[in-house]
Amino acid sequence: MNKAMSKVFIVAVVLFVALVVNLTWIMVVRAQWFQDRPENKRSIAKEMKIKRGDIVGYDGSVIAGTERRSGYYYRDYPNGTFAPQLIGYDSVRYGRSGIESQLNDQLTGQASDLGVQNWVDKLLGRRPKGADVKLTLVPAVQKVAQQQLQGKTGAIVVLDPKTGALIASASAPTYDPANLDDRWATLSKDPTAPLLNRPTQGLYVPGSAFKVVTASAGLDTGKVTPDTPFVDTGTYVVFGGKVTNYGGEVYGPNNFTYALTASINTTFAKVGNTLGRKRLIAGAQQYGFYKTPPLPLPAGEVVPSGRYGKNGLLSPDAFMDPLDVAWAACGQEKLLATPLQMALVAGGVANGGRVMKPYYTQEIVTPDGQVVSKAQPEQWLVATKALTASQLNTMMQNVVNAGTGTAAALEGIQVAGKTGTAEKGDGTNLAWFIGFAPANDPQVAFAIVIEDTQSTGGELAAPIAAAIIKTALAQPALP
Amino acid sequence: MSRRNLELVFLILAGAVSTMAYVSVYTGRFREINRVSIIYGLIFVGIFVLLHLLERIFLPQADPFLLPITALLAAIGLTEIFRIRPALALLQGQWLLAGAALFILTVLIVRDHMKLDRYRYLIGAVGLALLVITIVIGTTVNGAKLWIHAFGFSIQPSEFAKLAIVIFLAGYLDDKKVMLSVPQRHVLGVPVPAFKYFGPLLVMWILSLAMLVFMKDFGMALLFMSIFVSLMYMATARAVYVAAGVGLFAIAGAIAVYVVPHVQDRFAVWLDPWPHASTTGYQLLQSLFTIADGGIVGAGFGRGYLLYANRQPVVPDLQTDFIFTAIANEMGLLGAVGVVLVYLLFVWRGFRIAVYAPDGFSKLLAAGLATAFAVQSFIIIGGVTRLIPLTGVTLPFVSYGGSSITANLILVALLLMVSNRTNIIRGGSDLERRHLAEKG
Repeated sequence: MNKAMSKVFIVAVVLFVALVVNLTWIMVVRAQWFQDRPENKRSIAKEMKIKRGDIVGYDGSVIAGTERRSGYYYRDYPNGTFAPQLIGYDSVRYGRSGIESQLNDQLTGQASDLGVQNWVDKLLGRRPKGADVKLTLVPAVQKVAQQQLQGKTGAIVVLDPKTGALIASASAPTYDPANLDDRWATLSKDPTAPLLNRPTQGLYVPGSAFKVVTASAGLDTGKVTPDTPFVDTGTYVVFGGKVTNYGGEVYGPNNFTYALTASINTTFAKVGNTLGRKRLIAGAQQYGFYKTPPLPLPAGEVVPSGRYGKNGLLSPDAFMDPLDVAWAACGQEKLLATPLQMALVAGGVANGGRVMKPYYTQEIVTPDGQVVSKAQPEQWLVATKALTASQLNTMMQNVVNAGTGTAAALEGIQVAGKTGTAEKGDGTNLAWFIGFAPANDPQVAFAIVIEDTQSTGGELAAPIAAAIIKTALAQPALP
Repeated sequence: MSRRNLELVFLILAGAVSTMAYVSVYTGRFREINRVSIIYGLIFVGIFVLLHLLERIFLPQADPFLLPITALLAAIGLTEIFRIRPALALLQGQWLLAGAALFILTVLIVRDHMKLDRYRYLIGAVGLALLVITIVIGTTVNGAKLWIHAFGFSIQPSEFAKLAIVIFLAGYLDDKKVMLSVPQRHVLGVPVPAFKYFGPLLVMWILSLAMLVFMKDFGMALLFMSIFVSLMYMATARAVYVAAGVGLFAIAGAIAVYVVPHVQDRFAVWLDPWPHASTTGYQLLQSLFTIADGGIVGAGFGRGYLLYANRQPVVPDLQTDFIFTAIANEMGLLGAVGVVLVYLLFVWRGFRIAVYAPDGFSKLLAAGLATAFAVQSFIIIGGVTRLIPLTGVTLPFVSYGGSSITANLILVALLLMVSNRTNIIRGGSDLERRHLAEKG
């Protein structure tokens, strides 16, 4: 009996040793792996005990602050809905997105470069205090952008062409970040996708707004000049297909400047085929197409522009026949672009051909008022020669002064721009307007797109641009 | 040093560790020591001092480890419950008081466990009845039918049935072990004992399966089956019973996985919890995240992240089935392994008592109780760490729950009685031997 009992006891010992081995496996070997699982919201929940840093606008007004309730901090939004798709959410249940996710280490005081006091706190095992993040977003401009989009679907991006600082980023439809948790089920299933940050995630057919890129490639390679003459018969037959103008218009003899002013498809189709597939796509790549714009946001929250197929972004080397090239030169075919990318195109032209890296963080300030990080504008790409940029600048002024974009014109401020109207198969249009102002010393560059409309870019998007420019240039300070 | 003085030293040690844990919770969560809870702490100390004094009078030569281990585990449990849900700690304290009363009653009424052997069929029938009652009028909690509601309390009769069945089996198997180990005939070359000896055991086996199907609880079925198989093996030393028991239970378990949806869910979650992260696998994954977060030393009692901002525990049922998760989180790997080793220490003492016991009934009783204690601890610790499929049994002395703590205190009283008798027979004083003889 004793022998059998010893054996049973040995089995018990083996089982208990298995428990110890398994505990070691979970708590030491795999501990970090468990910590990093997306299903694990413990770190978010724990960080509710840290006073999360404020997110403030360029004028210092609080966009996302904190409210303390029984030892835990909750986000509150004293100025209401303010670029919620870009700011992102901070939810124990649904995780984090946008800037809240990207700058979480700074906002929770866990980053390594938050000053001496923060370092001392960590060393002493004290709970850190979050650093405040000051954005380049200018609340007055953002507010106008959001107002302009009210009741519409679309996006507005405004940036400083000389620095790349994001001045406004509006996405419609929008949502109130204050009651996100309660409305999550509705919002996440809404077919109009209010949670989507359209400026960086929305892929749209750029339409005629893309003609700026085609023109840039044409002028840069010397294949055309602003005065190169063309003749439009209303139809350009190529490779067994044809390119026609918007509304069936026939313009007769024109030059390249007038072709941009009136947005003549046949002329741009011809320029596209003069350039050929390689030079056209290369011209787009010089503005940032086929790359993810370096705006620091979590993976998937900024998407690249370019030609898209069924399985996502196509290679820049993908085959195109001359008809494809002709339509692509007019911003159609398989081209898709984000509003951010189109704003970067306008910004590149405005900044003498140099595209700046887009950013939104003006500075990071520790709780004791020390500025630990300040925005350093950096050049991203050289899109075109300075001469080409200045020729395009003049041509885009013409669009506003005497072409499709006259609704964007303002008293005393020279605006430069390009309209776009992409017809979707379902009978609705995408209305575009991209541009910058003032033309001789650009302070703002922008891209505006409105979905699901019967109007053209010139009718609908250009007046919005005028309202935004007016507000932006009236501000005491821009980033 | 005498056994009782040794026990007192261990009790003081356990008390010191418990006090530190308690203070840690307080300073961590309330930043000040509340006078009322010090009184509760003193009542807790008083209970174990009383049990110790009772042993000095009635069980002078009982094992000196078991009561201090019980006190330590109960203190850890109470402290952790207090930290998770202060209101429940008070209730648990009352249950501890009730358990101590039952402990005292057991010692005073039974006096000598050998008496229990005389009533083995009655005790076995009571155990069976408790299980049948649960199956008939039980309520389902978390998918398993383990509870009955009576007199305003929720009782888990299986905790008491466990003790009754062990007593019955110890007596029955000791009596029939020769018949069971000498096969009367062979079926397909396998030696099979006569049915009249084997019959009651078949009832036990069917009972385990019934628990699996009707109570929908894999854990309890596994516990009863383990008690049954290990006692059979210890009584007869025939491995064929182990093989048969494990085989039959494996078949029954496999069928249950397909037939009983609740068992099926648990099994699927055990195999791969990730696809069920927000549904049936939520609890287990949260438990694993919470344990993984403990690290090597843990944040300390009262300092881990166990409650959300709305005071809900991070793992549902944290204070009952998942109390080990809370301990692992706050005490880290060292503390968690320490608790596992404390359980193993208890199991070791149990088997030691069994090995030294002078008669078959005492041996099987002690070994059966130790097995029950070991298997129950293993099932729940293994369950919350995903070593085995999760099933809802309590962690003895630590989990919140009245039935669990009272039944397990009776278990301790029985083990102490066996060891007291053994030690007196093997070397107690004449006076002690005379007392023992009077009791019998």
